[in-house]
Amino acid sequence: MRTGIIDGANLNGGQQLAVKYFSVALVLFLVQMLFGLLAAIQFVRPDFLYNVLDFNVNRMVHIDAMVVWMLYGFVGAVYWLLEEESGTRVVGLAVGNLAFWVLTVAVAIVVVVYLWVQTGPGNDLTRWFVNEGREYLEAPRWADFGIVAVLGVFFYNVAATFSRGRWSGIAGVLTLDLVALAGLYCAGMFYLTNITADQYWWWWVIHLWVEATWEVLVGCIMAWGLMHVLGVRRRIVETWLYIEVALMFGSGILGLGHHYFWIGTPDYWFSIGGFFSALEPIPLVAMVVHSVYDAGVRKLRNGNHPALAWIIAHTFGNFLGAGVWGFMHTLPQINLYTHGTQWTASHGHLAFFGAYATINIAFFYIAMQTWRGNIWLGSGLAGEGWKWKGALALINLGVIGMTVALLIAGYEQSFIERAMEGSTWRGYFAGQMHPWFQQAMAWRLVFGVVTLAGALLLVWDLLTIGVGETRRAPQFAAEAG
Amino acid sequence: MGTSPPVWASESFWKKVAIWVTAGSFVILVILTFDTLSKTAVGGSRVQSYSVINRSIDYRFDYILNRYRPVFGGDEPLFGRSLSEDEAAALVTQGKKTVQAKNCMNCHTLLGNGAYYAPDLTKAWLDPDWGSVEEREARMLAFLLDPEKNAVTFSSGRKMPRLGITDAEAHAIVAFLKWMSAIDTNGFPTNFKTIGHQED
Amino acid sequence: MIEPVAPEDFQRVFATAAATVLGGAGYAGLFAWARLKNRRLWLVGAYMCYAASAAAMLLLTRAAHLNGAWQGVVVLMLVGYLLAPHGIWHLCVASHRLERNSRAPPGD
Repeated sequence: MRTGIIDGANLNGGQQLAVKYFSVALVLFLVQMLFGLLAAIQFVRPDFLYNVLDFNVNRMVHIDAMVVWMLYGFVGAVYWLLEEESGTRVVGLAVGNLAFWVLTVAVAIVVVVYLWVQTGPGNDLTRWFVNEGREYLEAPRWADFGIVAVLGVFFYNVAATFSRGRWSGIAGVLTLDLVALAGLYCAGMFYLTNITADQYWWWWVIHLWVEATWEVLVGCIMAWGLMHVLGVRRRIVETWLYIEVALMFGSGILGLGHHYFWIGTPDYWFSIGGFFSALEPIPLVAMVVHSVYDAGVRKLRNGNHPALAWIIAHTFGNFLGAGVWGFMHTLPQINLYTHGTQWTASHGHLAFFGAYATINIAFFYIAMQTWRGNIWLGSGLAGEGWKWKGALALINLGVIGMTVALLIAGYEQSFIERAMEGSTWRGYFAGQMHPWFQQAMAWRLVFGVVTLAGALLLVWDLLTIGVGETRRAPQFAAEAG
Repeated sequence: MGTSPPVWASESFWKKVAIWVTAGSFVILVILTFDTLSKTAVGGSRVQSYSVINRSIDYRFDYILNRYRPVFGGDEPLFGRSLSEDEAAALVTQGKKTVQAKNCMNCHTLLGNGAYYAPDLTKAWLDPDWGSVEEREARMLAFLLDPEKNAVTFSSGRKMPRLGITDAEAHAIVAFLKWMSAIDTNGFPTNFKTIGHQED
Repeated sequence: MIEPVAPEDFQRVFATAAATVLGGAGYAGLFAWARLKNRRLWLVGAYMCYAASAAAMLLLTRAAHLNGAWQGVVVLMLVGYLLAPHGIWHLCVASHRLERNSRAPPGD
C-alpha cells in the first residue's frame, strides 16, 4: 500500500466504483452552482441571456444537478461501505460499473437536451424525450426508466452482496430504504391532467424522498461512518439508527401534509400538516442532547479533521435549515402568505445544504483519505490545512448569506405581494420591484459567488490534500453485524 | 464486560418501534390518499369538471368558510364556443401538456408550487390586469403568442421568452388556466381582487 | 379551520417561531451539558432557555391564532420540548452503558 498518492490499490472493488460516483458528483456540484449563478444574475439583470438560456432552463439545471449530485454521492457512499459492511466482495461489480456509465451518459444526454432543445411542442413526445416540465422531476420519461433500471442494479448489488456476506442492522435498514426510494420514484412517472392529483403524487416523490428516505439513507451512511471514523460500537450505532428511523419516518411520512394545504386537497390536511410541522423540530432538538453527549464523551479526537468539520456543519445546517427555517413558515396560518415565495427558496437552500451537501462533502474527504493510503488528515496538515478551512468557511458563509438574503426577500414578498396586494400579477411585480427585494437579490448573487469560490477551493483541496503525507490515521475495525 | 442496556434502550426494542411507526404512518397515509384522491377527482366540489370553462368563474370571500373560494356564474363559453365535457377535457389536457412541455413551472408557480421568477398562475385567468372580461381572452392569446412584444413587465424588465407556442397551444393554455382557476385551493391566494370584482 | 395571521403580526410570528425552536435547542444543549458535567448551574440556564421557548410559543399562539384544536398542538409542543431532552438523555446513558463499561472511548 502506497501512501500520500492517489492509488486505486488502496481501495477495495466497491470503493473503486464509489470514487467514480464521487467524481461525477463533484462535477455536478459545480454545475449546480454555475447554473444557480446564471439564474441569480437574471434576477438582477433580466436581459442576461434572454431568449438564449432563459431562467427556466438555468433554474431547471440548477435544481436537477443538485438532486443528481446528491444521489451520486449517496450511491457512492453505499458502494464505499458495502464490502466492509458485508464482509465480502461486491457481487455484481461489472454490472455496477456498467450501470454507472449508463447513468452518467444518460445524465449527460439529458443535460445537453435541456440546454439545446430546452422545450418542445405540447404533446407526449416532449414529455418523453425533452423535458417533463414538473419541478425537480423534469427528466424526460425515457430517463425515468433509465434511473429506475440503474437503481434496480444498485439495489441488486446491495441486497445480493449482503446476502452473500452478512446482514447487519445497517444492511437491513439500507436495503429496505432503497426499495422505498425506487418505489417512490415510480409515483412521479405518469401523466395527469388533474393538476391537484398531479401535485399530490409529485409531492410523494419530492417530500418522501427528501424528508424521509434520503434522511434514512444518510442515517445509514452516518452510522457506518461513526463506527469507522470515531470507533463507536455497532450495537449502539444500530440502536440509534433505529431510533432515528422511528423519528424520521414517524414525523416525515405524515409531515407530507404541509404540502397539501393549497393544491386543492381537503382541508383536514391543515390539521395533519400543522400538527407534524409543529412537532417536527422536537426530534431535532432532542438530537442536540445526543450530539452534546457524544461530543462530551468522545472529545471528538480523530484523524480526519475536514470530514469531522463537515459533519459538524451538517449538524448545525440541518438543525437551522430544517428545524428553524422550516418551522418559521410552515404553519398554515402563516404559510397562506409564505407559500410559493422566496421563503421557500431560503429554506430550501439552507436545508438541502445542511442536510445533504455537507454529508457528501464529508464523505469525499473520507474517500480521499483512504485513496491516498489511509493517511493522517488530523492536526498538522501542510499549510495548517488552510485550503479545507478556507473552503469550509467560504461555502458556509456563502450559503448562509444566500439564505439570509432570500429570507429578507421572502419576508418582503409575502408582505407586499401576498398580504397587501393579494397576489395579483401587479402585486407580484410590486413585491419584486421593492428596494428590499432588489437589494436582497444583489446580495444573493454576491454570496452565490462566494459559495462558488469556496467550492473551487474545495475541489482544489480534495485533489491535493495529503499529497506526500506519510503519517497513517488510526483505524477502527468495525465489529461484524 | 458491562451490563446490557434495559429493554427500552435496547436495539431489538427500537427495531420494533421503527418498523411499527413506519408501517403505521404509511398505512395512515395510504388511507388518506384514497380519501383525498376521491375528494379531488375531476367533477367534484374541489376540482371542477373540465366543462366549467363554459361558465363564468369568480373568486370571492366566503364569510361562512372565512376564506376565499371560487364561485360560478352563468354561461360564459371560452372563445365563444360551448364545449362538451369530452371536448373540454381534450382542450384542457392539451393545455396542461403544453404547460409542462414549455417548462412554465421553472419560472412560474402553479397552485403555489414551482419557481419564483414570474407570477403565480393559480388564478391567472382572474387577474385584473387583463383589462376587462371582454378583452381578456384576446389579450391572453396575444401575450402567449408573442410574449416579448405584449409583455407587461411593470417596469421590472422581466419578460417571458419566446417559447414557440402555437395558436392551438395558446388556446389550450388559456383553457387550462381557466379550469385551474376554478379549483378550490382552501383560500390560497387570499385577498385576491379578481377582474370581475374590479368592475363591481 | 384556520384564522390567518394578520399582516402586522408577520414579524412576530417569524420571530416567535424561530425563538421557539432556538430556545428549545438551547434548553436541550445546556441540559445535556449540565448532566454531562454534573453542574447544577447550567441547569438553571437550561430551564431559562425553556422558559424563553415556552414564552415564545405562547406569543406565537396569539399571533398565529392557534385557537380551538390548535391549542392541543401547543400543549403537546410545550410538553414535548420539555420532556424530549430528558428522554433522549436517559436513552443515551442507557444505550451507551455497554460501551462505557467495556472499553474506553476510542481516540483516548
